Amino acid sequence: MPLKRLFALTSVAFLAVLAISPAKNALRPYRRIQIRFRELAVARATSARQARDYARKPVAIHQIWLPAFENRVDRCTTCHLGVADPLMKRAPQPFPFHPWTPHTPEGFDRFGCTSCHSGQGLATTQGEAHATAPDAGPPMLPTEYVEAGCGRCHAAASIPGAPMLSRGRALMTQSGCFACHGVRGQETFHSPAPPLATLPVKTGAEWVRRWLKSPREVDPNATMPNFQLAARDIDALANYLFGLEVPEPLARRVQAAGEEPPGDAASGKKLFAESRCISCHTVEGKGQGSAPELSKIASAASRGWLLAFLRDPHAFNPRTPMPQYHFAESESRDLVAYMEEELRDFDAPKDILAPLRVNRTLAENGEKLFRRYGCFSCHGAPEGARLTEKFGPDLDGIGDKKATSLDFGRRTDLPRTLTSWLAAKIGSPRSFAKDLKMPSYGFGPEETRAVVTALLAMGAEPVPEPYRVVPAALPAPIPAAGAGRLIDRYRCLSCHQIGQQGGDISTAPLTFEGSKVQRDWLVDYLVLSFTIRPILTERMPILRMPRQEAAELADMIQSLFVDARIPDDPFAGKPASDADPVEGERLYVTLGCRACHIVGPSGGYYGPPLTDSGTRLKPGWTFAWLKGPQRWRSDVRCPDYGLTDRDALRLTAYLATLHEKRGAEKAGSR
Amino acid sequence: MKRLGFVLLVLAGAACARRTAAGPGAAARRPALAPSYELRLGRQVFQHYCQTCHGETGAGDGFNAFNLDPRPRDLSDPAFQKKKTDAELTDAVRRGGAGVGLSSMMPPWGKTLSQAEVDEVVLYVRSLRKQ
Repeated sequence: MPLKRLFALTSVAFLAVLAISPAKNALRPYRRIQIRFRELAVARATSARQARDYARKPVAIHQIWLPAFENRVDRCTTCHLGVADPLMKRAPQPFPFHPWTPHTPEGFDRFGCTSCHSGQGLATTQGEAHATAPDAGPPMLPTEYVEAGCGRCHAAASIPGAPMLSRGRALMTQSGCFACHGVRGQETFHSPAPPLATLPVKTGAEWVRRWLKSPREVDPNATMPNFQLAARDIDALANYLFGLEVPEPLARRVQAAGEEPPGDAASGKKLFAESRCISCHTVEGKGQGSAPELSKIASAASRGWLLAFLRDPHAFNPRTPMPQYHFAESESRDLVAYMEEELRDFDAPKDILAPLRVNRTLAENGEKLFRRYGCFSCHGAPEGARLTEKFGPDLDGIGDKKATSLDFGRRTDLPRTLTSWLAAKIGSPRSFAKDLKMPSYGFGPEETRAVVTALLAMGAEPVPEPYRVVPAALPAPIPAAGAGRLIDRYRCLSCHQIGQQGGDISTAPLTFEGSKVQRDWLVDYLVLSFTIRPILTERMPILRMPRQEAAELADMIQSLFVDARIPDDPFAGKPASDADPVEGERLYVTLGCRACHIVGPSGGYYGPPLTDSGTRLKPGWTFAWLKGPQRWRSDVRCPDYGLTDRDALRLTAYLATLHEKRGAEKAGSR
Repeated sequence: MKRLGFVLLVLAGAACARRTAAGPGAAARRPALAPSYELRLGRQVFQHYCQTCHGETGAGDGFNAFNLDPRPRDLSDPAFQKKKTDAELTDAVRRGGAGVGLSSMMPPWGKTLSQAEVDEVVLYVRSLRKQ
């Protein structure tokens, strides 16, 4: 009898256990969600047939399988049923139609969901899929950081369509993060921070103290972070820096320059404005701001140093973005005279530039601090130190870190997530524990978010080949010798882009410059650059380039920086009626080009004036541009009018007839 | 499956067009404090391509507006917003002023912007309506 009862009980228990799995499946939340979706879709359907189709959809798990993308399986569409269904525009979560992005709606089958949003693709419940628990796998990215997903595949510094990520990457480069932290693809990064060996002949102890206390307070454009040093440490560091041995030839140059007779401040002031220094520098905040603020420069650097630096900046800092102007000796004296008269800190103590009598013990402590805080990562290793490793930890994979593996230290106030940890680490790095070394960059909330986005984009492993988008290499390498040295001397890449290299101060990339502008115009422009686009505040500096150098540079640009897609002669093989400038002028009027361009006395000034386009532009370029401006610069505002070849040629012919008197006269006098 | 998707898209498009045609101001009453993702995309397009002439608030007072004759349209004008349907705005953006019988100073953007970008910018233009 007991045996029978036992048997009955076990059978019941066995059945119950068997029933668990089907019951669990029947109760899965996604079933209810799919039924809700069905109801919503039927209500929104625009025809009876469509409604019927929706009503008949079986309840099932949906998935996107990406064998070529790390074998991802994304089942997100099991609940997010409306992502590719335009009928679901502005439907409530989880059903809304996915907003347009460069990869949606066309790219769902190629990219799935987790490649951008992260999270657990295989899971079919909300909690597991979004991975909200701290010990789960990578959680879903909060929407504000979603551009980090773009960065997993797109390696370029600037990515159209991902402004937050691009800003974050730019900030990281500017702030010199890669000087201390190793990151794949940034192996050749060098900070443009100056070497410090000439510091004793440049400035004084008081200035160094002020700078070390808070670089941004001395110069709002400073990229050096605040190391939050105690007064004692600042003193030790100053002693170390003033004990450095100044390289003999540079010391002599500075001393000799200091003994030169004073220049004329008035002509220096004129020269300062003419040279367009504020295309990079600022004076009382006015200017571009990627280079130091100059309104107090004469209280930061000695007269001799300023003179010697102006004449040959690259001898003092081989990595400075500053070009070597071709000033005459007296011109640089005038410039420095102007700085000493007007660009100085009138409230500063008289001895701000007085050197320091070095205390040996303090200097030794200073050297220890110099190493301890990794100053050498940006400023170069001190004599005798061999540095093979990066000072800080590598950042590859930081975007994949599990929240449980992070040290939150004293920050018990933070939510235990990677994003909040990173944001706090960037915002106040020393708040986690005592004796941390990372300095404070003073980022605002927007900047912090941008940098965190860029950090989240750093995966442990690179994405598989077909998905990787690495910027194209230079179309033509810049030769090291010959005219290439001029590109280096005048630091063209500080402002202009060539291929994927170079700065973004100028709006004119030089990649196809040789196919774009005429050689003779280019020579004139290099000798005496004038403003092509009047609305821009950053103007090409007048580098005082000798004509011979300008010709050499122009010839190199004409032969190397060209693009095969741009025809030499767009009119070749076309009937003469296609080259009719009169028809072209008619088109210019009817298309409304003058809304943005100036020709003759009138027109808008958003685009470049075209008054001398016949002197400046090559017809092949004009034609190629008119056939689709966005082919040459993806973000350019000039609209694509979808012109036929004939219309584009006629417009080209018209623009080729436009010459300015000034240009013609100059060409004649040469 | 693909064809079905296409049919759905066309139907949905027609449905949206009809709905919005009935009440063009509907989108403008969306709360201004928390713009949706679409609206933010639209703002990006507007700021990049339109603001120069139409101005930050759409009032037709961008810095390039003063070189144009006739002046750019005041997009924030409630009367204008009421008069124009989304379809008409889309058409004007895509084909330009000359395409819809107005000034050729407004260029056609149909070959520069994708259909989605045009939709977004029209959505954003709706949000510029003065209350």
